[in-house]
Amino acid sequence: MTDEFRTCPVTKLRVHHHADGLIKANAVAATIALVVGGIAALLILLTRWQVVHLLGPVSFYRMLTIHGMSMLIFFIIFFEMAVLYFAGPVVLNSRVPAPRIGWGSFWLMVVGALMVQWAMWSGRADVMFTSYVPLKAHWSYYLGIILFAVGALIVVGLFFAALVVAKRERTYEGSIPLVTFGGLTAAIIAVVTLGHGAAIFVPTFLWSLGLMDVDPGVYRLVFWGLGHPAQQINLAAMVAIWYMLAGLTVGGVVLNEKISRAAFVLYILFINLASAHHLLVDPIAGSAWKMWNTSYAMYLAVLASMIHGFTIPAGIEVGQRLRGIKQGVFGWLRRAPWGDPGFSSLALSIVVFGFVGGITGVTFGTAQINLIAHNTLRIPGHFHATVVGGTALAFMGATYYLLPLIFRKQVAFWPLARIQPYIFAIGMLVFTMTMTFAGTFGVPRRHWDISFSSTVYALQYSPAVDLIMGIMAVGGLIAALGGLIYVVITVWSVFLGRPFEMESTLTTGGSV
Amino acid sequence: MAFYGVPPGITNPPTPLPEGEEHHERTTGTLVLVFVFLAAFAIYYFVNWNLLSALWQIG
Repeated sequence: MTDEFRTCPVTKLRVHHHADGLIKANAVAATIALVVGGIAALLILLTRWQVVHLLGPVSFYRMLTIHGMSMLIFFIIFFEMAVLYFAGPVVLNSRVPAPRIGWGSFWLMVVGALMVQWAMWSGRADVMFTSYVPLKAHWSYYLGIILFAVGALIVVGLFFAALVVAKRERTYEGSIPLVTFGGLTAAIIAVVTLGHGAAIFVPTFLWSLGLMDVDPGVYRLVFWGLGHPAQQINLAAMVAIWYMLAGLTVGGVVLNEKISRAAFVLYILFINLASAHHLLVDPIAGSAWKMWNTSYAMYLAVLASMIHGFTIPAGIEVGQRLRGIKQGVFGWLRRAPWGDPGFSSLALSIVVFGFVGGITGVTFGTAQINLIAHNTLRIPGHFHATVVGGTALAFMGATYYLLPLIFRKQVAFWPLARIQPYIFAIGMLVFTMTMTFAGTFGVPRRHWDISFSSTVYALQYSPAVDLIMGIMAVGGLIAALGGLIYVVITVWSVFLGRPFEMESTLTTGGSV
Repeated sequence: MAFYGVPPGITNPPTPLPEGEEHHERTTGTLVLVFVFLAAFAIYYFVNWNLLSALWQIG
């Protein structure tokens, strides 16, 4: 049994070799999905930029589908699986229960993802991420999603099993650590999310085979039980990573364990109800239902984010002050390790997520204001700030620590790695804010030609729109450059990088 | 000690704090950031209500 573990000399954690392998496999699959989604993103951006308008309508919607699925589902969920193996067996010093099932579910997810990619790239599923009925894709698209979801659900089950095994084998003392608690939150939300996925994609799969009908209104209602909470799994995983990076990079302390854990519980209880904000202009639900879910339940989930948004920076501040950095109000920030890509990713992720994604999200989720924001570019402006500027950037920061600690490789092109989070975050800030501004002027989302040039009526936007869309494109290109640098660094480090022998290079002591 | 290609949080881990002690320190900087955030939120929220009222006038 002992031979199956190695002890990390930095964190002192015992790492089961199957956890090692499964984290690596899922992280590599996530990076491949990121590359595919990133290529599609670039092509969409160069079409959205009216001066270039690169793709035709069919190719545009195809790339929009590929971008949405590759980024929101495959990249994020593969990475979350890696996070669950880390937050469970690794953090708890435990083994992966039933590793063969773990590997089987990984390959099931890969097969599902490949089926979906085949359907999309071959033009059999130009239905976009939402695949709203009655838009119909090839049956392989729906079956691929079902297989991918089943694989992910099995990994979630393995995470729960790892908690039981670790408790029974007494591999840790006291309560589970906060990072694991965050992983547990993500896993519970994942069960609810994937349950909704099964509830809607199994009937839709049968519908694609001509075996039954699916009501478009019911589809939209149940789909958002999958579509939105899927991003809340990211949210919980991202917050868990924030706590982890705060501890690893500057020794941030947890101000109050109970409050942080209570905030995670608020996510579990209320964040799924917030999915209703996707249906705020749908005629199928009444105003009372919409307002209860989006203006009451949603605020309790937002409260959770605001608690984490306070406790993590405050924990960093207290940690810095306790280590003697007490000068002034912001001395702890000035003397923070801004050259550490793990720390800069953490800080920038909190800023972009909170200031852009959070503020716009709460505002657009208000039923009345949603009427002027729905189906405009303001919406993708909001969720690119949360999912990309927040979650993806946090995942990038975690990668710079996973490379030496799990892959046992040095981070290649280190000077580039140090500035990569800044390039990505600045690009995303410009991109998301200008998207939001353009939406304020009425520019629609999801539309191939925002000028509506082929219609019989003339549509005139404010002249500012052309300028805003141009700046948006520049921001998007800068972010794409940041994403490309990240991919090059990770792929090079994993496959061609120098091994990192921690025992021979570390001279300082102390566990993290 | 800096090490090329490895984040400083690994090569120079933060000094461990004494275990079992209560840590009391100010969070003045974070509180300032919280108020900046609240101000930004309030401004954006009310600008949007203003925009809505301009588009859909009552009376």
